Amino acid sequence: MTLEAEVQSLRQVPMFRDIDPARLKLLAFTSERVQFSDGQRFFSQGDASDAAYVILDGRAHVLLNTPGGEITVAELSDNALVGEMGILSDSPRSATIMAAEPTTALRIDKRVFLELLAQFPQMSLAVMRELAQRLERTNAQLVAQSS
Amino acid sequence: MDKSLFRYIWKHSKRDQLIVCAVVLASQPFYFMSLDLPRQIVNEAIQGEAFRDGNTTAPFLKLGIDLPSWLGGGSFQIFEGFQLSRVGLLFGLSTLFLFFVIINGGFKYWINVAKGILGERMLRRMRFDLFTMVLRFTPEALRTVKSSETATIIKDEVEPIGGFIGDAFITPVFLTMQAATALFFIMVQNVWLGLLALGVVGIQIIIIPRLRRELLRLGRERQLASRELAGRIGEVLDGIEVVHVHHAYNWERAEIGNRLYTLFDIRVKIYNRKFVVKFLNNFLSQLTPFFFYAIGGYFALRGTLDIGQLVAVISAYRELPPPLKELIDWDQQRLDVQVKYDQVTQHFADERLAPLIEAREEEAQDEPLVGALAGEDLRVSDPHGGMILDSASFALDLPARVALIAAGSPAASVMARIVARRTPGFGGEIRIGERDLMRLPPGVVGRRIAYAGIDPILFPGTIRDNLIYGLRFKPLGKTEEGRREAERRVAEALRTGNPVESISDQWIDYERVGAKDADDLDRLLVHLLNRIGMGNEIYLFGLAGRIDPDKDPDLAERVVDARRGLYDTFRSSGMADLVEPFDADRYNDQATIAENLLFGVPTTEEFMGRRLAENSDFRSALDKAGVTDDLVHMGLQIAKTMTEIFQGLPPGHSLFEQFSFVGAEELPEFEAILRRHPRPSEDMDRDDRVRLLSLPLAYVEARHRLGLLDDRLKTELVQARRFVRETLEKSEFAGVDFYDPERITAAAPLRDNLLFGRVSYRVANARVRVAEAISTVVREMGLLEDIQRIGLDQQVGTAGRLLTPQERASVNLVRCLVKRPDILVIDGALAPFDEARAQQMTELLLDLLEEQSLFMVVPNERQAKGFDVLMRFKDGQVTTETTTGGREPEAMEPGPEAAQPIEGEVA
Repeated sequence: MTLEAEVQSLRQVPMFRDIDPARLKLLAFTSERVQFSDGQRFFSQGDASDAAYVILDGRAHVLLNTPGGEITVAELSDNALVGEMGILSDSPRSATIMAAEPTTALRIDKRVFLELLAQFPQMSLAVMRELAQRLERTNAQLVAQSS
Repeated sequence: MDKSLFRYIWKHSKRDQLIVCAVVLASQPFYFMSLDLPRQIVNEAIQGEAFRDGNTTAPFLKLGIDLPSWLGGGSFQIFEGFQLSRVGLLFGLSTLFLFFVIINGGFKYWINVAKGILGERMLRRMRFDLFTMVLRFTPEALRTVKSSETATIIKDEVEPIGGFIGDAFITPVFLTMQAATALFFIMVQNVWLGLLALGVVGIQIIIIPRLRRELLRLGRERQLASRELAGRIGEVLDGIEVVHVHHAYNWERAEIGNRLYTLFDIRVKIYNRKFVVKFLNNFLSQLTPFFFYAIGGYFALRGTLDIGQLVAVISAYRELPPPLKELIDWDQQRLDVQVKYDQVTQHFADERLAPLIEAREEEAQDEPLVGALAGEDLRVSDPHGGMILDSASFALDLPARVALIAAGSPAASVMARIVARRTPGFGGEIRIGERDLMRLPPGVVGRRIAYAGIDPILFPGTIRDNLIYGLRFKPLGKTEEGRREAERRVAEALRTGNPVESISDQWIDYERVGAKDADDLDRLLVHLLNRIGMGNEIYLFGLAGRIDPDKDPDLAERVVDARRGLYDTFRSSGMADLVEPFDADRYNDQATIAENLLFGVPTTEEFMGRRLAENSDFRSALDKAGVTDDLVHMGLQIAKTMTEIFQGLPPGHSLFEQFSFVGAEELPEFEAILRRHPRPSEDMDRDDRVRLLSLPLAYVEARHRLGLLDDRLKTELVQARRFVRETLEKSEFAGVDFYDPERITAAAPLRDNLLFGRVSYRVANARVRVAEAISTVVREMGLLEDIQRIGLDQQVGTAGRLLTPQERASVNLVRCLVKRPDILVIDGALAPFDEARAQQMTELLLDLLEEQSLFMVVPNERQAKGFDVLMRFKDGQVTTETTTGGREPEAMEPGPEAAQPIEGEVA
């Protein structure tokens, strides 16, 4: 799998959909491709947020700490972006991500990502649009629940 | 130093000066002969005066003394001489002339060398004297003395003085003799011509120096201005941070520009004056020959002067101006140098220096500093006249661990400095037993009191050098050095008032610090660093350090063993995919192409980074292996990708430095190459090929993922290794240390030697896990201490800038602790640490100084736990309170564990 393939994966991520191919290539080039073995953690709940990950190949579970131990609340698969909220809001990890099988992911370093956002307004806009859409969806869900 | 330069020179070099003067005197008769011979040749041989009476032969080398008439006349004949024909006499006299020329040359050679050595010895003495005075500057003087100016004085400003010293007495003697001889010779030939020459010479000697006085004043001005320039540049450099922070470039530039203008202006004035004087001098020198030709020629025409005499007079006169000119120059130089010397002595004026201390007293008073410590009537005032200590008194018994509780007042720090003897200016008295603390010889203080202030001053060198800085009092043992060389060195040192000790001697008193030898001392240092909590840093420095397998073959072998142990660990714990080991027959995906090709570590610049592509040996090996075209093609693709993805980023952006193969400034260059050669072609010129070749050398497939390496190319690159190695081994520059699984690669850091491979870029968290594994294996194999000892070789940089503030403070503390002082004074040395860590270190210090005394400035009561005595300060008074719990073992909290867990590090 080469840089080109990674760029294809990034393009599937909603947040990066509208970004220039050259910029996506830069994002991929400045990221690291890493492999997690089955059961290895990407990060644990409460850790400092230092990177976001895009799953290129494999599956991972989202775990939450509860008084009764960790419980799985979601499953992520190909082209999922995870950990981006932590690096944008500079808050600790809100959940644990654990590989459910041997998984390859693209690790986007926090500092590099923020520098790219600062440098290219088009990328920032794409991120904002995605965040706004998420907020809209959440609102809609709230409305649906309360009615 | 003497006020007068000449007295200083005479005091220290009269013997040499007299010897050289004597030789100068001895050379004069020969010089006179070489002047007289041309006359003899012309008159006696060419014009034939010796043969005038019809003699066919004339005596040659006739030696005799004609007694003057008042001794009764007559003459003694010593040697009758050889009887020679006219041609014989001509050649005889000419040969004699040549002989004297050679003799004179020989004299000149000897005198010049002797003068040079004399000057150099005096320069050495003077510089050393000045440096000794630098060590004696009083604290008040140090507030105004600028370090860069002082350095300039010792290095540059005394240089011309040294050059002058060789000439100080000899040159005037020599030149005066020479001029007098020439003048005397002219006088003998013709009194009137002689008087004429004397008159012009008189005018020159009187007028020219007067004109030059202004020049001296300007010279002095220039010296001061240029010294201030040096001082200012030093200041800017020392405070460069502030200049950057406040963006004061323009102001600083203008400031320096103005100073340069002042220097220029003074120089222009000097030039104007100097060349007017020169013109006048030259004119006067040429005036005399004018008279000689005109008047001497007139006498010759009239027949009162023979031609031979005229020729001799003119040739003698040719010898006159140079010594005269030099004499005048000497006088100028004398005044000039005297001015410089005066300024140097002013800089090192007596009132700026502390008194000299006799070394003998020190031995007598070198006894432990224990017993009753009593301060009486201590008075210290602040710059505004307020009293920090006002008739304060206290008494306590040493050894004791004393907390000086500051509570916001400067008094605690002042008291700490008094006890450490860092403040000379206070009223009252402080005694230890019967001894006045202020009267203790500095040597005793240096050995028995240690002071760690807020500013840990480190010298460039290794951590070890800095740690043992406080142990070097005097040389205890001699190292073997060549006897003749040693004798010469010592003799020179004695002649110039320099120390005879060599820094290669054994300076460290191991016994005093409780060590057997250098290795044992290293262990001690590592132990202390571990306790003080710098163990992990030292371990990391050690991993980044290098082993010399020739010096320590045993350790090298153990590292190779650990290498195997590490791989066993990797295999047994399922971590084999974390590291890709170096294998002579396999391509390493985690390493750069350059490393794969060299299969070793470059030791010289020519094989590093971009330079490698320019190396002709390396390129010819690639050509032989047939991989050059593939690599150039790769370079083209990399350039294409880089120019595509990095365009739009401003130059100097940090992403460039971190990720790009191509620097921002190189992008246009590669874009131009890409325009010329959009696809690989045969007609690419050499420069372009070299530029492109340099790109893939830094390429790591696993990291950069451009998909440029296929299995075929990998195999070819592995095969190319052999060619590279063969070519490099044949070449005369041994620039690469090749990998060998059974051997240490001396040029590679210890970490790489342990790993003997590269950590995978592909596996998540690999670096941390590998570092943990290394740490475990290192402990299991007992290598930790050895690695930490290598860590002691870490350079600290100028003023310790390569270390963090915490590391600097730790090194400073260990430097104090290792010399086992009777009294350790800590005044702000823990400031770089956070409160928890500082508390931990305080406990550790209390623990370490069981039997010695500790005076520590603490900010508040809370941090004064565990001390024996609490010293409080209020309204300039001191109160002491002896606590009970201090020395009891159960009250002692354990210090941090000696073996701290080694935190994860990034391999």
